[in-house]
Amino acid sequence: MNQAVISCLHANLPAVEAVLKDIELQGITNITCLGDLVGYGPQPNEVIELIRDKKIPTCQGCWDEDVVDGLDACDCSYPSQLAEKRGHFAHQWTTDKLTKENKDYLANLPYSIRKDKCLFVHGSPNSQHEYLLPDMDAFAALERVENARAEILFCGHTHQPYIRELADGSIAVKIKNAAPKDIQEKEIQLPMRRIVNAGSVGEPRHGGTKATYVVHNEVTNEVKIREVEYDLELTCKAIIDAGLPQIFAWRLKNGFEFAEQAEDASHVCER
Amino acid sequence: MIERWALVSGLKGDLDTYELIQKDLKKTPGNITLFVLGDMIGPEKNCNRLLHRLINPKSNDLQPWCIYGWWEEQILLESGYRGDQRAETLRINKGEEVVKSLTNAVDKSFLDWIAALQFGFVELDCGLIHGSSKDIGENLTLDTPPLTLLDRLTRLQVNRLFTARSKEQFHLELTEGTVNSEVEDLNGNRKKEQKVPQKAVIGIGAGKNYTLYDVGTDNTQFVQAGYKSEKRIKGFGML
Repeated sequence: MNQAVISCLHANLPAVEAVLKDIELQGITNITCLGDLVGYGPQPNEVIELIRDKKIPTCQGCWDEDVVDGLDACDCSYPSQLAEKRGHFAHQWTTDKLTKENKDYLANLPYSIRKDKCLFVHGSPNSQHEYLLPDMDAFAALERVENARAEILFCGHTHQPYIRELADGSIAVKIKNAAPKDIQEKEIQLPMRRIVNAGSVGEPRHGGTKATYVVHNEVTNEVKIREVEYDLELTCKAIIDAGLPQIFAWRLKNGFEFAEQAEDASHVCER
Repeated sequence: MIERWALVSGLKGDLDTYELIQKDLKKTPGNITLFVLGDMIGPEKNCNRLLHRLINPKSNDLQPWCIYGWWEEQILLESGYRGDQRAETLRINKGEEVVKSLTNAVDKSFLDWIAALQFGFVELDCGLIHGSSKDIGENLTLDTPPLTLLDRLTRLQVNRLFTARSKEQFHLELTEGTVNSEVEDLNGNRKKEQKVPQKAVIGIGAGKNYTLYDVGTDNTQFVQAGYKSEKRIKGFGML
């Protein structure tokens, strides 16, 4: 049986509709969403209502959390203070646009969803704001999955889809500073674990413009990254019409990771 | 001259023990730096005399370098130094009486000094903290999974982590390790084998039990104040 995992919808209704259509065409009815329904994009209420209507189980993303709790968390991925200012503008715009009912919905989303051996989170089991990047320290990545008592960790947040398998691991340990007869050495075998990042439906940052999500076969454990085309022009026009920073449309249209190069090394995290 | 660190924690207002440790260290050869890794205060006894001594060392005292520990965090929470949060974990687990005992044990004039203490020190390639790099209340022991220990070392980007929260004395080396990583993304597949360089986690003890660390040789000595140093015998337990 296949399940689809979507993440980082970012108020991009045409992208969400296209992805849900693609999922439907494959006959998949089991869908989990990893949050960030809002932020950057022009249709926050519409996207939330679509997810609610379809009763898709959803975790709370970092944008969802910030819109509810206020900007208490800093997105350290902003490459510059200028980019951060635009992010804050989008945050305020989204907060103003959202209905109370939709804010309440975001406020009550769980941090994580567990289904058997699978754990679904937005960023990491530690925080909606932690990035599990594809090439992060392998032991640290394994620790995130193992300490969450999962075999497969589904996450988003990076907007870059990937499947990472961590296998054949071991750590050797030795007690030092004990009597010779009590000095013990052991090699601990580490379990095989996987991290699956669903990428982003509404704001891809993988170098292309297609929305991404993943399909997991619960029997074979096979995971596939799906890319879906959608009406990009429609979203870009809606961004501009809504008065959101035009650079968000430009970034979407080019599939760029960031709107500009990181020039401000002095950025200090607000958290 | 040999450079040594003396690592102390869990004094919880016990000036007598602190004086005993100072006395020990005067007799210990080498150039000694004294680190106090938190829990200078606690609810059991009045802590003002010890705090005064730590802030105003006697002329022949070794200068103590202090960080805050779990009990300091509780009093800072309860005294409003952490925004709206209060010491709810302590209140739930130990009751209102213990919260009151703690706030009564420390004069308010010391709170600003406590609030200015750091979470930890990074010296050379060593991290000196109270609990772990994840949480001040985390106990790291011989039974902590090595993967977790490695993560706590990685978070601080250090090769040795000195921790006090568990109150235990141990020196656990992570001698080697490996894991294979395979990533598939839209650009294709890539494989990588990652290895662990040698690292260690050292439990320094609490109260009268403290640790001497020889910076040059990477050797630890587990010491009880007022007694000769001794080698601890510890098994792996449930590792």
